[in-house]
Amino acid sequence: MNDRIFGILLITLAVAYGWGATQLPAPFGGSEAVGPETFPLLLSVVLVLSSLYLIVRPDPDNAWPWSRTGLELVIAVVVLVLYAALLQPLGFILSTTLAVGTLCWRMGSAPLRAFITGAASGVGVFLLFNFALDLALPLGLLSFLEVS
Amino acid sequence: METLGYLIDGFGVALAPHNLMFALLGAFLGTLIGALPGLGPANGVAILIPLAFSLGLAPETALIMLTAVYAGAMYGGRISSILLNIPGDEPAMMTCLDGYPMARQGKAAEALAISAVASFIGSLIATIGLILLAPLLARFALTFGPAEYFALFLLAFATLGGITGKNPMKTVVAACIGLMIATVGIDNTGVQRYTFGVLELYEGVDFIIAIVGLFAISELLFFIEEKAGGGKEKMVVNKLSLKWADIRNILPSSLRGGVLGFIAGVLPGAGASLGSFIGYTLEKKVVGKKGYFGQGDPRGVAGPEAGNNGASSGALVPMLTLGVPGSGTTAVLLALLISLNITPGPLMFTQNADIVWGVIAALLIGNFLLLLLNIPLVGIFVKLLSVPPMFLLPVVTMIAFVGIYSISNTTFDLYFMVAFGVAGYLFRKLEIPLVPIILGLLLGPEMEKNLRHAMDISDGDWAVLWDSGLAIGLWAFAGLGLILPYVVGPLLRRRMGVASASSGNPEGD
Repeated sequence: MNDRIFGILLITLAVAYGWGATQLPAPFGGSEAVGPETFPLLLSVVLVLSSLYLIVRPDPDNAWPWSRTGLELVIAVVVLVLYAALLQPLGFILSTTLAVGTLCWRMGSAPLRAFITGAASGVGVFLLFNFALDLALPLGLLSFLEVS
Repeated sequence: METLGYLIDGFGVALAPHNLMFALLGAFLGTLIGALPGLGPANGVAILIPLAFSLGLAPETALIMLTAVYAGAMYGGRISSILLNIPGDEPAMMTCLDGYPMARQGKAAEALAISAVASFIGSLIATIGLILLAPLLARFALTFGPAEYFALFLLAFATLGGITGKNPMKTVVAACIGLMIATVGIDNTGVQRYTFGVLELYEGVDFIIAIVGLFAISELLFFIEEKAGGGKEKMVVNKLSLKWADIRNILPSSLRGGVLGFIAGVLPGAGASLGSFIGYTLEKKVVGKKGYFGQGDPRGVAGPEAGNNGASSGALVPMLTLGVPGSGTTAVLLALLISLNITPGPLMFTQNADIVWGVIAALLIGNFLLLLLNIPLVGIFVKLLSVPPMFLLPVVTMIAFVGIYSISNTTFDLYFMVAFGVAGYLFRKLEIPLVPIILGLLLGPEMEKNLRHAMDISDGDWAVLWDSGLAIGLWAFAGLGLILPYVVGPLLRRRMGVASASSGNPEGD
């Protein structure tokens, strides 16, 4: 069933992609044997055919993790997105402590050890990057510590 | 004999102190990556690429370091196979069969030492094979025109799943997805394709972000799903008592395994897993009734281990000479080459001779380093094996973030990486292989360029694509690569399954 749904999604994608290719403007200086749309059109045809095969002969399904595990996965993705968003405003050390700490904790570690791991790895990598490797990571809220 | 001259120059590059230092660092990190749970070779190399990049390493230094990581990861994969009966990566599966029984009989140290020696011999044979074969193949490849290259790329995709692959159609689907992502951005004729007006997409999708997301982030999500955060119990390794006779005993097995592995590595569609499988089966046949395979026969450790290391060095031959990688990790190494602005392929042997031969020499030196590292330091790696993934994977994820962030200092790339990670997780659930996606991303621009050249030459006649004998041969092989898995695949898979089921239940990746 998974393969069938995925196959239908892929065909939709392939058709949209192929249609997009036909809408591309002709390149400056007239058309050539292989324009910008030729290769994408080829791809969309191949993808339609191979997705049809998936729909006709799907593989047995893998179970999807609903319920708790699924929730944990969503939490993990949210943590990663927040980590990316907060990296600059909070600074590397604080955001890493929070992100790595939360991930370790959700993966089954005791909360205290989790956040200690997060803080230690954050400080360690920060020192390594800024002093040994000369790459500046943002300090964010901790910028008052900056030694210039 | 010009090869010898180049090789000596190569040693000049590889033995430069800072290159040697990075080779040692790479070998150490590689063994670590191979040994740690949840960090395969492709994954490990992928995470290190952005770092090598943002450190501003010289191309040859970066390549030497990451090749050492690659070689080291193959060594490291065996540690968890022997001690825990869990292969670090798929090719290490066969090492479990006799390695784990040896460890249970209190001969873990011997098994580790024997496998290190066998890995060394396998890699050495394959590196020598690489030195002999690569220049020949590169010269031959100079006769390829654009049509042949187009067919060669198709061959690479068709054989990527390997003849033991499950569903070749999913490889095709994956390759299409990768190639489609590669078309995003401004193309050769200056037309914007699929950018939707987003400025960050004008230059296309950076494949390093895609690779790190697909491999590293999806691995984290997989571990969360399987709730595999807890560590493995600590293993005790006995004191090593290896006699010269023991090593002499496994020499023939290692030599045979190494040669077979190299051949399997060079051929498209075979790969390291098949290399170690053939290595093991052949040993069983040759030694016959005198052996006690499956119950801790040292030759059963040596054969497949030499085979899988031979295959991993052999896989560098098509990657370096044709620019067409045959495995996930070599695809990641290709990504490094492209991002260093080196065009892989036959011309590399003349235009970037110092880099190619420096890397080959580094591979030889790296092998000696690895052997030296692996016998006395094995205790450290064993200790690291018991680091629970619940601490390890978040930290690895953080390193992936730092690496990607330090390339361009923008948050946009990080969101993109997370998106690729989620997509990678979904693909793995649907058993869509990730490697063809990456290969599509890497080869897409080249493939389209060659198609365009071929058609320009022929004035728009599509028949040019199968006009020469060579091109027809490549098309035929590509067809075989898609059909054979249906014919012989089930049989081979069953035999590999039976062989591994007889000793516990190792889970491949």
